[in-house]
Amino acid sequence: MTARGLTHSLLLLLVVVAGAAGARWRGEGTTRHLQSIILGRCAEYDALVNPDPRGRNCTAIWEAFKVVLVKDPCSVLPSDYDRFIDLSRHSIPRDKSLFWENNHLLVTSYSENGLRFLPLCSVLYGRIGDFLSWCRQENASGLDYQSCPTSEDCENNAVDSFWKRASMQYARESSGVISVMLNGSEPSGAYPVKGFFADFEIPYFQKDKITRIEIWVMHEIGKPKVESCGEGTVKILEERLKKMGFQYSCINDHLPVKLLKCVDHSTHPDCVLNSAAASREIPPLWAEHGASHIVPLLVALASAVHM
Amino acid sequence: MANHRFSSVSEEEPCCDISKKTKICLCVFFGLLIAVIIAVPVGILMWRHPLKEWKGKGTTAHFYEILLGRCYTYTQIVRPELGHKDCQKIGKAFTTAFLSKDPCSCTEQDYQPLLELTAQTVPCNKTLFWSKSSELAHDYTRVQGDLFTLEDTLLGYMADGLKWCGDPRSSEMNYQSCPDRREDCSNNSFSVFWNAVSKRFAEDACGVVHVVLNGSISNTFDERSTFGRVEVFNLRPEKVHQLQAWVMHDIGSVHSDSCSSSSVNNLKRILKERSIAFSCQNNYGPIRLLQCVKSPEPSSCRFYV
Repeated sequence: MTARGLTHSLLLLLVVVAGAAGARWRGEGTTRHLQSIILGRCAEYDALVNPDPRGRNCTAIWEAFKVVLVKDPCSVLPSDYDRFIDLSRHSIPRDKSLFWENNHLLVTSYSENGLRFLPLCSVLYGRIGDFLSWCRQENASGLDYQSCPTSEDCENNAVDSFWKRASMQYARESSGVISVMLNGSEPSGAYPVKGFFADFEIPYFQKDKITRIEIWVMHEIGKPKVESCGEGTVKILEERLKKMGFQYSCINDHLPVKLLKCVDHSTHPDCVLNSAAASREIPPLWAEHGASHIVPLLVALASAVHM
Repeated sequence: MANHRFSSVSEEEPCCDISKKTKICLCVFFGLLIAVIIAVPVGILMWRHPLKEWKGKGTTAHFYEILLGRCYTYTQIVRPELGHKDCQKIGKAFTTAFLSKDPCSCTEQDYQPLLELTAQTVPCNKTLFWSKSSELAHDYTRVQGDLFTLEDTLLGYMADGLKWCGDPRSSEMNYQSCPDRREDCSNNSFSVFWNAVSKRFAEDACGVVHVVLNGSISNTFDERSTFGRVEVFNLRPEKVHQLQAWVMHDIGSVHSDSCSSSSVNNLKRILKERSIAFSCQNNYGPIRLLQCVKSPEPSSCRFYV
């Protein structure tokens, strides 16, 4: 799944929302061919990614998942996924866990399909649900393909409960060095005080299995740095971890991740590599995102001239 | 034994004192028993493995489920504009192409129905070829969402990393082994597939197309690779007016100008003969950054401060 997939999904959502003014809920409707996609993802995981020597029963995993599809769309609890998790869980290698907030696509790219890191979406149960949506109709037994409830509609919706349960499991099975990627350009704060990471992951960290926690606060290239290490919500997170007795460290714009972010902004001044700078001139300010630099400059000049 | 008396068998009588008839019966019985002991496992073995043995790895486990799941993921989530495609039909067309057939006699015709069902328009200037640079090229399209390698098209996405073959004596897929291109036969169901889809991918390309090449190997442009054998020769000069090569060198290696190497010049010559312009760049910036993500230690991966 890539940026384009999400963009298309969002566009589709907008079209659906605009067109079907009578949509019951705020979220995307059930993904079509849900069963085939889930069975396929499970099969692929078992055949190519991480085969289970005892053999995984993907049909049983689907049957376990299916139980929520007959429930009222606002009455699905995290515990409804217990059997599903039981059948699909597997161990997570040490030092490979990657937690995140407001960074889904970056995390997917950076983790390289589980080769470099194993975020929740690369673990079998996370992989199964990634980018999918599902819910039963409110007053009928079939699936609702028009819309599904979000947390704004009701708390106990199928998708949120899934991710709560999956997050709890993922956090419980994580060990060694824990990495956390936050978005320091997010206006509402890098560490959502109420969110999956705060409420369903941190509380389930196993103190005796974790050596330390590394926080990376990433900033968007050419956008304002809303928060950095030791500031605002990041400070809240750091203090919470300290109180819990965890050893932690915080890095602003962790180099390998920043390099990845720069791929899409290679001509931006913040993204020029040493070697590139040595072999050619540094690009002028008016390359790529230069407008954001030029306009204030011109404004400043204009006002100076006026005075 | 000195006792020659024929007498009814009692507990103390030695075994050799039985009648000839009984002896014959016993021999036949034991003979049959041994035959059965040998034949049954052999029979089971042969019944379970009646398929021909090849030198390559067999069909991927759960091949059909994976294929179908990927088709739906691609048409519902990755490229929803293809939501009208019928994945059941596509899956059937795929397996029909090779099931119950000799996996060494495969032709592109076998895949024609599948190719027709999975036709897809790749926008002009967005085609990205690759040769000896698979990981890097795919990392790049994962980040740069609007470029397409073959594996970012529907059919490539479905088949990527999978292996398949059938057998003329069975309607099942051969999970034990499949023909190896070099050691068994080159017209195998797997190789023929990739040749056919690569050909179409090249034929469909338009505008300015790109290729990621590996400058750290001697045959940067390899005439025996799929890119060299199939793709270059199926670009349509009336649609593609330029091929731009991005030649990437391993991080930390000595800087060399592979764009002027003899192998890349060979590519230039071939394209010129086909009336397609060629341009080349060493260590294209964005992909260089990707290489640095993998190995950020060397000083060439530090930002200019």
